[in-house]
Formats: sequence, structure tokens, C-alpha cells
Amino acid sequence: MTRGAPGKVVRPFAFFRAGAQSDRANRPILVFEDVYKYFKKDQPTLRGINLVVERGEFCFVTGPSGAGKSTLLQLIYRKHTVDAGRILFAGRDIARLKSSSVPFLRRNLGIVFQDFKVVKHWTVFENVAIALEILDMPRRLVRARVAEALERVGLAGRGGDRTEGLSGGEQQRVAVARAIVTEPALILADEPTGNLDPHLAIDILTLFEEIHETGTTVLFATHDHSLMGKRDHRIIALDEGRVLEARTGLRSWPGAMDVGARTETSGLRVVASG
Amino acid sequence: MELKTLMSRAKRGLREELRLYLVAISSLSVAFLCVGGALLAVSNLSSIAERWGQSGRMTVFLRDGAQDGDVAQLRMVLESLPEVRDVEALSSAEARALFLAQSEVTADLAALPPEVFPASLEVTLRGGTDPARVEAIAGRVAQLRAVDDVETYRGFFDRLESLLAAGRGLAGMLALLVGLCVLAVIGNTIRLAVARRRDEIEVLKLCGATDSFVRGPFVVEGTFQGFASAVLAVLVLLLGFALLRGPLDQSISALTGTKAAFLEPWMLMALVLGGALIGAAGSALSLRRYLTV
Repeated sequence: MTRGAPGKVVRPFAFFRAGAQSDRANRPILVFEDVYKYFKKDQPTLRGINLVVERGEFCFVTGPSGAGKSTLLQLIYRKHTVDAGRILFAGRDIARLKSSSVPFLRRNLGIVFQDFKVVKHWTVFENVAIALEILDMPRRLVRARVAEALERVGLAGRGGDRTEGLSGGEQQRVAVARAIVTEPALILADEPTGNLDPHLAIDILTLFEEIHETGTTVLFATHDHSLMGKRDHRIIALDEGRVLEARTGLRSWPGAMDVGARTETSGLRVVASG
Repeated sequence: MELKTLMSRAKRGLREELRLYLVAISSLSVAFLCVGGALLAVSNLSSIAERWGQSGRMTVFLRDGAQDGDVAQLRMVLESLPEVRDVEALSSAEARALFLAQSEVTADLAALPPEVFPASLEVTLRGGTDPARVEAIAGRVAQLRAVDDVETYRGFFDRLESLLAAGRGLAGMLALLVGLCVLAVIGNTIRLAVARRRDEIEVLKLCGATDSFVRGPFVVEGTFQGFASAVLAVLVLLLGFALLRGPLDQSISALTGTKAAFLEPWMLMALVLGGALIGAAGSALSLRRYLTV
């Protein structure tokens, strides 16, 4: 781990980070090229996914249960590898990374889950600080960065609380704080509001939008139409492993477009399949 | 990962799962106690075998009508040997009396005349005398004029040796079996402890922790568990040995002529270090399945 100036963490794959190198800065942060993923033979979970996510975008990834939303995200953080096609993260083919390089890929991602994935018997501080301890950051800096992250998610001064004593919404905020504390290039949120009531879900969505406003790219997987209806972000819709639509906003979604058509909307490639 | 961070994470693990660790340490202690007990049995059996194998007696049967002067000279020669502790002269009459006293014989045998029992010199050798050396002495003594025959009881000691070797082999196999059971117990105990913390491992991996970062504190904790368990087992074994030593010594020394001895320092060291090593290896191996997140 190389350390730069105080407050700056230089990762081995620094070019993954938005704006780390000028020649790469204009590249899309994420490109899916004809991606297939099979968990059962002759029954692909993802079939021929083509997708481009630009830097600084906020995208909803939606679709019914089993459509492949989680798998799409899992391929990005290399829980699984693609069976065909390729995924480029900041121009790098994720599937071709060695297993020993996967941790360094993940250090450039912030991942938030439906079930929070916080360590219940740790304190709030410990849950957030672990992301920085992995980067071998000095303790003094860890304290400052964790305090800042907790303030951003509305948990200022709660660092000493045991996580198991927090409400679901607060635990999810802890998970969000852990995801943003390293200032990742891309945040993957896999149904982060799935276990929360509608009011808290809006709060969490707003939190992600605030993070997005600082320039972070966010992929937000949800099947909650009420959430997407309140916002005008790009929607990537999946069904049976295919991208049905990729457009901005929910106003004309679903069914307003001719199925089978190929058009460009808001500069985004729209792929529909029959 | 810095050593300080590693140790503080390991300490946190131990502190937060203290009850689990106490249970694990007590289970592992029982396992190590079994290993220690088996080692104790094997080492004491070995020392008994060594003592018996090397303890010696020799009976020098005298010719009928051997001159007193020759017998006295022979006794002097024997007593001057460094391997000889004691020489006792036994006349024909004394040999007959001893035979009748030690054996339940019928009236016919009791009627045998003293001449049937040759006079002898009963030679007690010092402990630790090499059997080959005993044979050499016997060979030289047998050539003397007053000597008819020399009995070294080598056949008896050979049979005893093979019996003890079989006993040692059996104890060794038992120790091996106990060792395998202990490995299984240790593996399962540590695996359970690690399984309880799989969420923590998953979080670390998803945050970009390398395998060594995840493994480090668990290995430190496993090492500590193994070390503490082995030390506890040694202390319990020592306490049990101290309590039982009195009664054991009486019965064992009466039977074998030796006293029960505790494990050698190098064995204790091997047990404790082996415990720590097994704890470390058990943790590292148990983690493997959880590292593929």
C-alpha cells in the first residue's frame, strides 16, 4: 500500500478512481460487452448484456425478482466471473483480474446490501473504520475520515454505539458510511431499501443522491417503482437476464416503447429484446 | 498490515467472543490432556522397559568340589568389576532351602538331596549395564576353573524386552489415535469459532481485504487458543500427577522397581508449542472456505 499526501489514499489501481488520470478520465466507468452468466446450463441468468455507465451517473437497476439485478452487480465486484463477454471497469477487464487483484478492485467500490452486512457486535465506528484499516491508513486519519462519513450519513457522534442496538435504517446508514468512507469511484447498492419502510427508503435514496452529487457514480438496484417514480435518474431495466430499457426517468416506463426497437435516448443506448 | 493493527484486531476478536473462546479453550484442553496423558504413559513405559532391559542378574554355578581358594578368588574378581554391585555365595544346602521356600513343590522334589542343587555365586549387576557387556563377563567367568556354568537370564530379559516393546508400540498407537482425535476436535472447535464470525469475514472481503489481512487476526487468535489450551492441559496433568504420585510410586516401584516420572521438559515444550502451531494451522485451514467471497 502506497501512501500519498495526508488525507489522500493512493491505491494500486489508482486509475480506477474518477479523474485519477486525465487520459482515462473521459472513459465510461463501466462497460458491459455482450455479457453472459450461467448458473445453470442452457439457462443463462444474464444473456447478452450490453451497457455503458458514464462517470458520475446515477442509475437505477430494476426488474422483477430473478431478473439478474444482483448478478449484474455481483459481476462488477467479482463475486462471480462472466461466462462470455467482458466487463470493463475504468477500461480494465474485470474478468481478467487475478484473484489476488480482486481486493484492490473492491477498494475502489462501495457496496451496500439489502441485509446491511454490518458486523453487529462491532461499534458503529469499527464498522466504518474497517474499510480504512484495510487500506492501512494511520489511526489519526481513520478517526477523522470516519467522523466525516458518519456526519454525512446523519450519525454524527454515534461512533461508540453498538451496531446491534441501532434501527434498520440506522444500520443501513452505517453500511452507507462504510461504503463512502474510502471515497470510491463507484457505489453498488443492491436493494439497499428492501428491508426498510417507505419513509426510511426515501431517506436512504436521498442519502445516495447526496453522495452522487459529489461526483460518485451510483448503481442503485431496486424493484420499488415508487422510489424510481419520485426521481428522474436513468433506469436500466432487466428481465430474464436481458436489458429491456435504459432511459432517463420513469415517465414513459414501462411499455411506452416498441419492443424490439433499437433507439438512442438521452445519449444512452437502448436495447430491447423480444 | 501493521503489527499493531493485527494485534488490536486479534484482541478485539478475543474480547468479543470471550465466552466462545473459553468454551473452545476448555474443549481443546481436554484434547491436549489426552495427548499429555498418552505421552506420560508412553514415556514411563519406556523408562520401565529401559530399566528392565538393562537391569541384570547373573548366577555363576560352581563345579562340584571346587576349591574354596578358587571360589574366594573368583568372588574377589567379580566384586572388583565396576558393573558388579553385589556377590552372594550360595551353598548347595542354601540353594535347596531357597528353592523349597520359593516353590510349592511336591514331597518327591522335597526329598531331593542337597547335591542336586549346585553351589553358586549370585551376582547382582548395577542398573544400566549393557546386556552385551553382561554376556562378555559371563563368557570370561565361564572359562575359570571353579565355574561349571553361568546363567545370565538373557532369554528371560529378551522376552521381557519384546513384551515391553509390544506395550510401547500399543501405547504409541494409542497416542497416535488420541492425536488424530485431538486434531479432529481442534479442527472442529476452531471451525465452529470461525463459522460464528463468517459475517465479519464477508464484510472484510467485500471491503477489499486481502486473504492475509483477514487471516492474520484469526491465526493469532488460533495460536493463542492452542497455546493457552496446551498450557492449561499441562497444568492439570501436573496437578493430577502430583496428587497421584504418592500411591502410584508405591505400587509401581513394587511392581517395576522404578518410580513414575513426569514429562521431560522438551516434551512439555513440544506439547505447548505444538498446541500453538495446531491452533494457528487449524484457524488458517478453517478460514479457507469463507475466504471465497
